[in-house]
Amino acid sequence: MTLTSKSLAFILFIIMFGGIAVSAALGWWQTESTKVPASFTEGEYAGQANPADIRGSYTFGDISNSFDVTPEVLAQAFQVARDDPASFAVKDLESLYLDSGYEIGTNSVRLFVAFYAGLPFDTTGQEIYLPRPAADILLDHTTLTPEQVTYLQTYAVEVTPVSSPDVESAPIQSAESTSETESAQPAPEATTSSTEGYIVKGKTTFGEMVGWGVPQDVIEQLIRAPMPDPAITVKDYATANGLDFETLKPQLQAAVDKAKK
Amino acid sequence: MVNAFGKRVRLFRPRTIWIRRIVQWFFFLLIALIAINHTLAESGAAIPILSSASLHAVCPFGGVETLYTLASSGLLIKKIHASALVLAGLSLLLAIFFGPVFCGWICPLGTVQEWVGKLGRKFFRRRYNHFVPTKLDNVLRYARYGILIWVLYVTATSGTLIFEAYDPYFALFNFWSGEVAPTALLILGATLALSVFVERPWCKYACPYGAVLGLTNLFRVFSIKRAVSTCKADGACSIMCPMNIPVDNKIIVRDHQCISCLECTSEAICPVARTVVFTSGGLK
Repeated sequence: MTLTSKSLAFILFIIMFGGIAVSAALGWWQTESTKVPASFTEGEYAGQANPADIRGSYTFGDISNSFDVTPEVLAQAFQVARDDPASFAVKDLESLYLDSGYEIGTNSVRLFVAFYAGLPFDTTGQEIYLPRPAADILLDHTTLTPEQVTYLQTYAVEVTPVSSPDVESAPIQSAESTSETESAQPAPEATTSSTEGYIVKGKTTFGEMVGWGVPQDVIEQLIRAPMPDPAITVKDYATANGLDFETLKPQLQAAVDKAKK
Repeated sequence: MVNAFGKRVRLFRPRTIWIRRIVQWFFFLLIALIAINHTLAESGAAIPILSSASLHAVCPFGGVETLYTLASSGLLIKKIHASALVLAGLSLLLAIFFGPVFCGWICPLGTVQEWVGKLGRKFFRRRYNHFVPTKLDNVLRYARYGILIWVLYVTATSGTLIFEAYDPYFALFNFWSGEVAPTALLILGATLALSVFVERPWCKYACPYGAVLGLTNLFRVFSIKRAVSTCKADGACSIMCPMNIPVDNKIIVRDHQCISCLECTSEAICPVARTVVFTSGGLK
């Protein structure tokens, strides 16, 4: 069978546009994100939305529709100050933190949502940075594996969004003044900053509390056990020993407050 | 038609495949309008009857780039949509039957290179498209497979559209948007500049998608075939071939660089009827 150029042109149009029409009829022709991430197809989480498929075009509201995390929590985590956080697009984070020296964008949101919702997320070989408030929320309100805690401690960074009203007044460590090498190490003062004071959080270690002046015997009295390894975080200790962190935290905070008076 | 060598032969009358030009214009305008509309849509001023899809949504190579991620995790890489997979499938289907017609008839970057090449043809006449030494040219022709492997590797390992920063096609239809990496603009500029000397330099030496589709030349159903019995061996087909394939030395064109433009056929440059044809069967 021999074809002429005219018949080839005709066939080409039929296959291209006919194929597009058929795929559209089958629901395959999608030129825009549906704002609904793909689901896990197998394993324990089959059927649940996969945070790895969150796109830059999604708003915090879109994410909230698919995951158990509210726009307000996302706004707090990523320091987005606006009346309607649900309409904030994830891709705008990059410009919000453009001058921070760290890449905080879609991957950061994926990581946060995965950890917050307790869903699998592969961080192997990836350096995904999170603003400090996002890491604090995760450490305080979610149950994380020790590997996840270590990851957060490594990649949580002190950054200030460009539109934040307290850019000039907040004396927190600027991203520019922190080298990549420094940020890649677990920060020994991770739980404190000059704006936060001495606050007990999930990642606060027993050693830090002793350093703040809390007597060892007071700690032992509160946890009803001998003083643990100073490097252990309060939350890890509580989880490992069947204690309710949310109950223990205010007691420890009261001890810290008393010691700092 | 005249009688020559005992056969009916059409008198030499150089022609071109005019319908290919129309199809090329059509797809160039379609993609350009979609790209412009995408920009307009971001400011809320999109033209309603026209698609405002992103360029990545209407580029079949995105479908190839995301294959590994799709197979390993069930996800598409960032910025790629399902439509790219559909287009990749349709282009491959076309290629299996007719060779890389996407390259020769649809790809707007190829079209633009041809337009610029007309200037080169005017300046250099028969020297045009013959500047690169044959030995070097033969080696460079395989560079696009290296680029393809690199693109697939970095995309699979990073999960992002790394090639966007080097893609002249993306630069061509987004140079006004501020989203184009300087490297992509530089490569686009180099491609257009080289097009004055070499026909379709990007397609020949660097296009990773051309590398994918080019492989179908080895087994495609419809091929360019030359009837030795009526061939005058004037070399017109080889001279006209934008990809410098020596058609007059071949009976069946299985060259991995053929783009199925049909410019070498008896419908165009070949002066003898039914001598160089696009067919699925054999020739006498």
